[in-house]
Amino acid sequence: MPSKEEVKLQVFDAIDSRADDLINLSKTILSNPEPGFREVKTSELVCKALAEMGIPFRSGLGLTGVRADLLGGSPGPTMALLGELDSLIVNEHPYADSATGAAHACGHHCQIGMLLGAAVGLNQPAVLSELSGRISLIAVPAEEYIEIEYRDSLRRDGKIEFLGGKPELIKLGEFDDVDLAMMVHTTSTVEEGKLCISGTNNGTVAKKIQFLGKGSHAGGSPHLGINALNAATLALSAIHFNRETFRDSDTIRVHPIITKGGEAVSAVPSEVRMETFVRGKSLDAIMDANKKVDRALRAGAMAVGAGVRIQTIPGYMPLAQNSQMNDIFRPVAAHLVGTEGVGHVAHRTGSTDMGDISQIMPAIHPYVGGATGLGHGADYVVQDYKLAVITAAKAMAATVVDLLADGAGSGNKVVAEHRPEMTRTEYLKFMRSLASEQTFEAEDNVN
Amino acid sequence: MSTREELKQRACAAIDRYRDELIGVSRQILNNPEPGFSEYKTSQLVADKFDEMGIGYRRGLAMTGVKGRVSAGGGTGPRVAVIGELDSLIVNEHPHADGETGAAHACGHHCQIGMMLGAIRGLTHPEVLSELSGELVPFAVPAEEFIEVARRLQLREEGKLEFMGGKQELIRLGEFDDVDMAMMCHTASDMGDHKFAVGGTSNGHVVKYVQFLGRGAHAGSAPHMGINALNAASFALQAIHNNREVFRGEDTVRVHGIMTKGGEAVNAVPADVRLEWRVRSATPKAVVRNSAIVDRCFKAGALAVGAQVRITNIPGYLPMKHDTHMQELFRQNASSLLGEPRTLVIPGRRNRGGSTDMGDLSHLMPVCHPYASGAVGSGHSKEYLITDYETAVVNPAKIMAMVVIDLLAEDAKRAREVMNSHRPAMKKEAYLRFQRQRAEVIEFDGAQ
Repeated sequence: MPSKEEVKLQVFDAIDSRADDLINLSKTILSNPEPGFREVKTSELVCKALAEMGIPFRSGLGLTGVRADLLGGSPGPTMALLGELDSLIVNEHPYADSATGAAHACGHHCQIGMLLGAAVGLNQPAVLSELSGRISLIAVPAEEYIEIEYRDSLRRDGKIEFLGGKPELIKLGEFDDVDLAMMVHTTSTVEEGKLCISGTNNGTVAKKIQFLGKGSHAGGSPHLGINALNAATLALSAIHFNRETFRDSDTIRVHPIITKGGEAVSAVPSEVRMETFVRGKSLDAIMDANKKVDRALRAGAMAVGAGVRIQTIPGYMPLAQNSQMNDIFRPVAAHLVGTEGVGHVAHRTGSTDMGDISQIMPAIHPYVGGATGLGHGADYVVQDYKLAVITAAKAMAATVVDLLADGAGSGNKVVAEHRPEMTRTEYLKFMRSLASEQTFEAEDNVN
Repeated sequence: MSTREELKQRACAAIDRYRDELIGVSRQILNNPEPGFSEYKTSQLVADKFDEMGIGYRRGLAMTGVKGRVSAGGGTGPRVAVIGELDSLIVNEHPHADGETGAAHACGHHCQIGMMLGAIRGLTHPEVLSELSGELVPFAVPAEEFIEVARRLQLREEGKLEFMGGKQELIRLGEFDDVDMAMMCHTASDMGDHKFAVGGTSNGHVVKYVQFLGRGAHAGSAPHMGINALNAASFALQAIHNNREVFRGEDTVRVHGIMTKGGEAVNAVPADVRLEWRVRSATPKAVVRNSAIVDRCFKAGALAVGAQVRITNIPGYLPMKHDTHMQELFRQNASSLLGEPRTLVIPGRRNRGGSTDMGDLSHLMPVCHPYASGAVGSGHSKEYLITDYETAVVNPAKIMAMVVIDLLAEDAKRAREVMNSHRPAMKKEAYLRFQRQRAEVIEFDGAQ
């Protein structure tokens, strides 16, 4: 019986032999960016690659998701490897789609490359026979929580319930038979090293806000109008007036945008729309900040006699990583990039729906270097594809080997000792309880 | 029987004889400024002068008012009040400010007492008074400047007054029930080459005393435990500015105020923040509308940070309505004394933006409130000084005396015409009802 390290070498060899293909595939996705729930071409690329490897798959999960399972030689836990299909929208990104503005400014294109790379490495009879359990390769849609209007319309049309890909797949039951999960995200933060063990991430709720005023001629009769843009700008100020009450340790992030700010410069804006996130490190902190934001939005409306409709949409849960899995990942990373190449980050203030997965099962979400620029910025570009795709693929596959080889002793131990925050049922119930839609009418105390 | 011209000459000659005394009294008041409802020294000075002149009076009206009464020799007739305002402002940096209280005559009221006494000096000349009919009511009134709101609220709570403007309170007390028409002159610094001005109007207003209540906490170590009342107030002020575009130009809206308490210690989250605020507009209807907009902003401030707010709305002043007959008499007499080019007629719709409780009186009876120049600097600022007392005290004293002669000579024929042609905008009861409706306390809990 080969040792784990011998199995890993076989895995690494297979991945290395296909390195150019995997990198080219990532670059193809880079050149064909598609935002969440619209990843049609990207999804087809995944299906085509899986078909070429002879791996059966199911597609169209959560509109564009794809799942393929590799069976080990004997029963054991199911470990999911995830790759995110979607791009951002960053018009000025050098690889942006000129029609849609979609751009891979967060490196997800590499995730598909590394997911298929891990598949290449693991999908060998000599490897699979040494593993107990199952490897679920899941290409997931819509990690970036954007285009809220569009996704909400999909929701209203009954095509999705949740606006993020993983929550939607959880709802669809695609994680019901999964016991552990892992994915690797690219990073441009030099301090995080080549491979980085990470800790927690903020959770978030999303909000769609509509201020309702009254239009009138902005020159001729502003006194007859109710300026919804003034309501919105005041609401933004009101949010800022609350910032001093956000605790550093809660890492609250509230960062609205205005998606409609009026119709014609000569008319008092009668309808103004905003989107925002309310992020925080814990659910309690998020709910507290969310209450303050709601109050601030109402204050903006009240101040000018406008109405406001506030829709709160479940976002992502805080990410809590499984420390045993990280302990297994650490030596894997050190082997691949050297001890000095392994970074560590305690908390990140962005949000990911991997957080949702981490609420219901043991999961890790390490980072791989190779990118430069600011995440989500026009200058976020992957420079070192060998690291961002090939090394990451090896890291994922090797972690699978460590967890599922030797009768899945490690994997079973992780699963047995993990205390999930919520069951899947509790998770869905909580997410649904977050959704609310409230309308506050203009106070009719004037005129 | 003398002609009106002869009577006017006698009155003006008498006023000229008392010139130094009138200017002296004005300067004495300048050097002893007292804000509204505290004008004890000024009130005493008026009483002393009335004693000296042998004029019967009642004093202590609305705390400090002094109301004289002189019956003319020609028989009964209309009762004409000649008003002077007793109170000063508070402008700490004014060169004549009281070092202790900051009180300062930065609005020229000290000249009003001088000119009121001067007009009466002229009119009580035996050879003038004997040929007039009706009564003269020289009236020194308290508290025209609507300031020190917190203190006046305290006086109200103590039952010492109900309304917080002097003439408002005197109307309530019935001290204008036995007056048929009223006049006064105010000093001005913005009249160019003109020495006297009639016409124009002023804003009505409502006064607000606002208190935001938050929750104190260590501003460094536990700001998340606090509720910042200063943030609530700042937001409210910003919200007010965001509403300025809905104020109509023709309403000459003025919304302004001061923060009288903005926190206690810089290292504590402010838990108690207070403001005195004012909403002025050209019509009572616009005052009501715009006051509601401002109230909404204060409530929004509380809501924005989860604080509480208590808005005490206090009835302010009504816009000025000059009686056109009286105004014409003022114009004619000013022109004859100073020359037509020195006499300015301000169009009736020209709103000076400020407010006066003479506006309240103008809703009840024929009133005229012209302006005399002689001042420099912006009104209510530390630069506002009387530089020409002849113009600011002696001339208006003469002009008022001349107008009263026009009104009350010849069996008070013109005063009766003024009364007969005047349609008051409100009766006293309706006025009191309207003003009492303005008085309200709004409490709003933004933490709900």
